[in-house]
Amino acid sequence: MADRLLTLEIFRYNPLTPNIPPRMQAYQLRETPGMSLFIALNQLREEQDPSLMFDFVCRAAVCGSCAMLINGRPNLACKTLTQDLPDKITLMPLPVFRLVGDLSVDTGVWFRDLSLRTESWIHTDKTFEAQGLEERMDNPTALSIYEAERCIECGCCIAACATANMRADFMGAAFLNRIARFLIDPRDERPAAQVFEVVGTDEGVFGCIGLMACDDLCPMEIPLQGQLAFVRRKMALAGLWGK
Amino acid sequence: MRTNWISLHHIPEGASVNLQKTLAKNPRWESGMELVQLVTGVFLLGFLQFHVMAVSTIILGAAAFNKDAQFLDEHYISYIGIPLVILAIFVHGLAAMRKAPWKFQEARVFLQHSRRLGHLDTWAWLVQIGTGMAVLVLGVIHIWSALLTWPIAAATSAARVQGGYFSFLLALLLVAEIHAMVGLYRILVKWSAYDRHKFVLHLIYATLFFVVLGLLALIVFLFINVKV
Repeated sequence: MADRLLTLEIFRYNPLTPNIPPRMQAYQLRETPGMSLFIALNQLREEQDPSLMFDFVCRAAVCGSCAMLINGRPNLACKTLTQDLPDKITLMPLPVFRLVGDLSVDTGVWFRDLSLRTESWIHTDKTFEAQGLEERMDNPTALSIYEAERCIECGCCIAACATANMRADFMGAAFLNRIARFLIDPRDERPAAQVFEVVGTDEGVFGCIGLMACDDLCPMEIPLQGQLAFVRRKMALAGLWGK
Repeated sequence: MRTNWISLHHIPEGASVNLQKTLAKNPRWESGMELVQLVTGVFLLGFLQFHVMAVSTIILGAAAFNKDAQFLDEHYISYIGIPLVILAIFVHGLAAMRKAPWKFQEARVFLQHSRRLGHLDTWAWLVQIGTGMAVLVLGVIHIWSALLTWPIAAATSAARVQGGYFSFLLALLLVAEIHAMVGLYRILVKWSAYDRHKFVLHLIYATLFFVVLGLLALIVFLFINVKV
């Protein structure tokens, strides 16, 4: 399999030079054993085209910066090996997020908004005692909080979501997963009725039409179907009974 | 004015707060619409499968069919059920259509997105919109033509099927069953944490069962010889 000649068709567009229209540019590259798209793109930039823009930090599926559309589907470039792909590979930037240029998008602002809007910290009236014993939590609760917290904020679920593609104000799976994390947490005292005011809307969980591309394409395999259903049930009850 | 958990503290970049949206925003209505869609959808699913099974009594003979039709008639089930079904179809249609990509640009975004993604569940939404529209049109014609020859009896139904309605009813059966079962799949996906890769097979078998049952009933109607 190695030693193939790969053709990478890459989306090129720089919003700073709008006179040059968006286009697909083809590059050819000799495949090496164990080659990931991270290696391939760096090699292209080093040897063929220094103007090519893309993002990488950790190259180990931890930081979430290298998410892009690989043959149309969002995934992490560092985690994707060329041996699992056909000879011709198309690369496009994630939709929905602001395009920085070529394959690079700004997921940072989007996820910062998410953290600020969800106020991603424990809200409690209890005063913290630095010297006191930590409150106990049962293991299943801790595990389900951890399950939601495995999100690396790569943006694949948002890019895969038809609703998020069509409607810019839709919160999307990453947002609702974060909501689930704080709804599960017994230390957080915000009542579900309060969450409902913002999340029980068409921009929130009731805008979701359940196409499950987020669940199918999450690189961290977070069970988003269950997370979204949990938030939906909570919000429906809060809407009906006010709690 | 309600206190807002999020946006009082932080307004996302690019978002604007204005009078009309602040006043129009009502999560109770928005979640209510979702529940109306769910409840009417489940009701119509139940009705459809009951209807297919009731009609399929023709397989047992015209007498069985007429007895069933008379039972529903005498107990006023038809007279309560039919208006309820018509109402549910319109309410469900309106509630479900609120999310469809009506703007041309939205539709283009959705189609390009679906093509890029090559993801069956995403395409299924297009199927759902298409079959939903078809059910709305064909369903109205179907109800109208049944009411024209009221009461329901094997003879009038057979005359309809033999008089050229066979392919029309087959098309309605197919779009209605596909719409109902894709809808049930979507409900389970949206509200439960069951593994959809497992239950999807059961739903496919159930769909096949009802389609075959309906088809058998139609074939019997096509060849049966009923004296009025």
